[in-house]
Amino acid sequence: MSVPFSGALRRSGGIVSAIGKQLKSVNLKGVKRITVQFDPFAENVKSTREFLFLLSTPKVAQTNPKCVVKSDIVCDRQPSCIKFALIDSAQEQAKVKEIRFNSDNLNTLELLQLCNRHVSSLAPVEEITNKVLTKAEKQKLGGGAGAGKKVTKKK
Amino acid sequence: MAAVIPKNLPLIRTSTPALQFLRFRGKINIQRPKEPHYERARVIAVTQPKYPEPPKAGTCFRTRAERTQQQLENPYNEIIAREVRNWLDHSKLVAIFHLNSITADEIFRVRVQLHKQNLHLKSYGRKIIGQAVEGTRYEAILPLFHSNHCIIFSPDQQKISTLLKITRKVPQMVLLGGIVEKTLLSRNELMAYAQMPGLQAAQAQLVQTLNQAAGNLVQQLQAHQNSFVQVLDVHAKGEGKADAAAEEE
Repeated sequence: MSVPFSGALRRSGGIVSAIGKQLKSVNLKGVKRITVQFDPFAENVKSTREFLFLLSTPKVAQTNPKCVVKSDIVCDRQPSCIKFALIDSAQEQAKVKEIRFNSDNLNTLELLQLCNRHVSSLAPVEEITNKVLTKAEKQKLGGGAGAGKKVTKKK
Repeated sequence: MAAVIPKNLPLIRTSTPALQFLRFRGKINIQRPKEPHYERARVIAVTQPKYPEPPKAGTCFRTRAERTQQQLENPYNEIIAREVRNWLDHSKLVAIFHLNSITADEIFRVRVQLHKQNLHLKSYGRKIIGQAVEGTRYEAILPLFHSNHCIIFSPDQQKISTLLKITRKVPQMVLLGGIVEKTLLSRNELMAYAQMPGLQAAQAQLVQTLNQAAGNLVQQLQAHQNSFVQVLDVHAKGEGKADAAAEEE
């Protein structure tokens, strides 16, 4: 007769921690240039401005130092938009040259979620060329062979 | 009290009770009182005072915050709002920037460079600016303060070109708009204003334009005389050269 448990065991941290969580997974490796265009006197540009601020933080900028974030201020009441110009490999993968978000009716969290869904997934995967082995890892690899020897010696 | 009790009547002998001193030299404990015994705690719980609630009719239309007196507005906010109004009224040039993520070091450097040109970089919260600007003629700048921002005040509007030069070097500061001599200007208008020559140059241009009409008329009237004089000049020079050549021979 009992209803199976549904719901969350932990309370959510609120919108700020949700934004922080999304921000941690933003990856701009697949982007060449970001252009944020908005009219500062319009009513609903708060989310666009916040998104611009979050893109300029050092952690996000470090994911791709070559990516340029440009802000375009217009004064003719155009709707605000954010354009991501992709690099070549990402263009082939997504089959589009650039991705555009119309951010008039989106809030900051939604913008970040969309960005993670469409843009961060296009980041090229980095291959590890030469991995430096730590002492523990070396022991593990070579210890499999020498473990038997060591045990008999102790005895 | 002892003097009032009569001593001559029988069975009315009183004696002072033996005094037992509880406190000796040490500090008394009031910060960590002992938990009372259950019976004593029961008596205390029952004898707690109950104060009458104010009648609901009186508090009916007050909000919960007013009823429980949760948060009072800090009067210091009003003082800062007055300061903002003062800055807005007395500066001929006000420029508002959007501020991206910037280190304190960098913004200090910008602040120093601006200070050398008598430009003052300030930043206030949106609530305070709203308080300062609501109902005044500056109300239109309110939508610019929804996100991270800074404001630059200057008592001299000619400094716009130096201001733009300094902030061009800072990629984190994005110009949004400004107020020049009580007129709200957008970003493009502000840049155009910076390109314009100063007031004296503009006045000189105006004078030149006004004189042009009359000057044109004078030029037309004197056209024939001027061309005649030029032809004579050329002729005289030509004769002079021929004379010099003949003398040399």
